[in-house]
Amino acid sequence: MSLSKKNKFFITLLVLFSSIGIVIYTYTMRAPTTIENKKIDFIGSADELLLIILDHTEEWQDKIVVVSGEVTNKDDKGVMLSSKIYCQLKQTTELQKINLSNNISLKGRIIGYDDLLEELKLDQCIIQ
Amino acid sequence: MKKVVLVLILMASYSSIAQKYYTKTGNTQFKASVEAFEPVEATNKSTTAIINVTSGEIASLLFIKAFNFRVALMQEHFNENYMESSTYPKATFKGLISGFNISDISSSKKQYLLNGTLTVRGVKKEIETLASFSNKNGKLLMEASFSVQPEDFNIKIPRIVSDKIAGTINISLAYEFIEKK
Repeated sequence: MSLSKKNKFFITLLVLFSSIGIVIYTYTMRAPTTIENKKIDFIGSADELLLIILDHTEEWQDKIVVVSGEVTNKDDKGVMLSSKIYCQLKQTTELQKINLSNNISLKGRIIGYDDLLEELKLDQCIIQ
Repeated sequence: MKKVVLVLILMASYSSIAQKYYTKTGNTQFKASVEAFEPVEATNKSTTAIINVTSGEIASLLFIKAFNFRVALMQEHFNENYMESSTYPKATFKGLISGFNISDISSSKKQYLLNGTLTVRGVKKEIETLASFSNKNGKLLMEASFSVQPEDFNIKIPRIVSDKIAGTINISLAYEFIEKK
């Protein structure tokens, strides 16, 4: 069975438009990039990070950092690094792997400097 | 020397009187969805809040960029076009819970009147709502909701999307406070 020229044309058109539609839909409805796949903007210790960003925290909003330090406190959502950086974990189940006063390294996103509690806040943290 | 002693006494008395509860990971959610369209809603799971349970004062702070959406593009538009979160990174609330008394809080919910000022995009708005409090495993739980309108904070919604975003935005809070030692 062979298709007529006209039918072939319509089928090609249909395939073309539906694929364009699918591309547009997947682009507009895509989920936010996960922390694992984001580019790192800074690697270093908690004290180094604070020293660099403290006077201009606004510019560091949404930046991805890998920060290391001593775990000085722990609650059911995250950990405190070097008493100055609060890191909210992406998966709270990871907390079992972290012990107080251990040195750890976390990848996370800076969300800002919290002036109520006077600490830097990170979220979506994952253990490196 | 006298001054130092005085300061120390003041600090000691202050810390013993002012009992505070705080959270760093409070949930603040907003919904501006219109039926039949893609839901416009996001949750901020990193809200900081402090309650002084002696006076009933409450202060909270959240970062606009920490609102997580299901759709990346929506999150981008929210930050860049509507909230301008690079210019106004924070939203804050300062208020008072009328007649709050920590000893009245039990495992069943108790409602109090919450009054205060919400600051978003540098614009202040008075909020009055009911907040319910209860306790669970030594934590103080607070729930409240209120609604605002984009115009309250000079947020302009372009006509092309205005029928997909609700005119009234519902904000709900669920915070689990722990005692500050």
